[in-house]
Amino acid sequence: PVTAGSIVVPYGHVIGNEKWRGSELAQRLQGKVRLIFEDALGLVDFHLSNRTCILLISEADLVAGDEFKRRLVRFRNASSLRGIVIVEKTQISDQYYLGVQKLVVLELGMVSLPVANQGEASQLIIQLVSFCVREQSRDRGANPFLGKQRAQLAEAAVLQAVQRIPGVGKTKALLLLQRFGSIHRLCNAAIHELEQAVGQTAAQQIYTF
Amino acid sequence: IPGPGLPSLAGISRVPGEHSPSLCILADSREICSGPEVLSCLRAVHGLRVQVCSLGTSDYIVSNRLAVDRVLQSELQSPGNRSKLSQRLQRLQGIFERICVIVETDRVKPGETSRCFQRTQYYDGVLSALVQAGIRILFSSCQEETAALLKELALLEHRKNAAIQVPTEPEGHQRDILNFYLSVPNLSYGAALNLCHSFGSITAVANSSVPALAAGARLSRPQAEELHRFLRHDFDLQLLPQPLPAKGK
Repeated sequence: PVTAGSIVVPYGHVIGNEKWRGSELAQRLQGKVRLIFEDALGLVDFHLSNRTCILLISEADLVAGDEFKRRLVRFRNASSLRGIVIVEKTQISDQYYLGVQKLVVLELGMVSLPVANQGEASQLIIQLVSFCVREQSRDRGANPFLGKQRAQLAEAAVLQAVQRIPGVGKTKALLLLQRFGSIHRLCNAAIHELEQAVGQTAAQQIYTF
Repeated sequence: IPGPGLPSLAGISRVPGEHSPSLCILADSREICSGPEVLSCLRAVHGLRVQVCSLGTSDYIVSNRLAVDRVLQSELQSPGNRSKLSQRLQRLQGIFERICVIVETDRVKPGETSRCFQRTQYYDGVLSALVQAGIRILFSSCQEETAALLKELALLEHRKNAAIQVPTEPEGHQRDILNFYLSVPNLSYGAALNLCHSFGSITAVANSSVPALAAGARLSRPQAEELHRFLRHDFDLQLLPQPLPAKGK
């Protein structure tokens, strides 16, 4: 059964699929995160938050054939949750990784992360959980990769741009900008107006540019 | 004076799926040293048109909206690189709609027995942060594989009708105009090329409306608004960040 609908995950908890109870992975997670087991999670192995969940693909899944692909596609079709696919990439399953990555990332638009074993998977999940928690608490500054919208003064940039016009250095650029104000007005200036600001030769150069 | 319309736009917006003879990727000139096999594989094995230029921002530009950075696994392992990487990616987010990071396994140097990759907690933290920031991550085991991934990305973007389809080597006067566009903050190299190609002159760009800019440069709406604002920004000498150096230095 496909259960991919929304599940309410209590703040700071992880909901795990019943089938992981007692596994090495679950044992390593316990104590680090608050883990709750639930039946009927369907395709999903772990829910990290209301909108992020994890699907695990083991070495055995990879070797066994294409069943895991059907599972991923079914998940993608049924759910709008952000799916993170953790793939057990070992010496044996290494050869399959490229194909899996192509399917997961390029075709399904989900995230694919390789781990070497269940121990590494637990470590990774702990980190993912901590970022999910931060996201929920709106502590966006904590993520070093989220773009910050910085209002930058355009003055320096405008001056730089005007200096890219052939024959215009810093002095002429300043003269031009003081007279015309913006690049838009500079572009629409008549040649005699330019001549008044910077002289005949330069005015001709700017005008033809 | 209204701009001269968008004469070349019909050429850009081809039907997706129609296979273009050569997909185009822009590569940063530093990649000649750091990823020579990526470049030669792209050209020789995959038959892509690779234009090396000084991008400065990202390692590769694969489409009008997608930038790709190639990082070595070891760089993600040590906290020393953190601020450099995050600054770089934050900057990219201001310029591109989509960002992808290809994590490449370090090459084993001759004479060195293959090092065991020790996965650190820090490494997992970086991956989690990237995932949460919506940055795509791909893993590659060597430069050849990186090239194959770049090709896949370029193909995918081509199918979504975002491929770079303008001449990438402007000459003479066009070169000067390109340099002018490149000085506009948060404008990508690809968008600058599109501006060169779609508009007859800088004046035409300066007089264009936001939708015309978005269509001509193939920018998103907010990016086109930013460009529009920049071109009409009223210069105020008082607001220049540092005082001008004294005359005659």
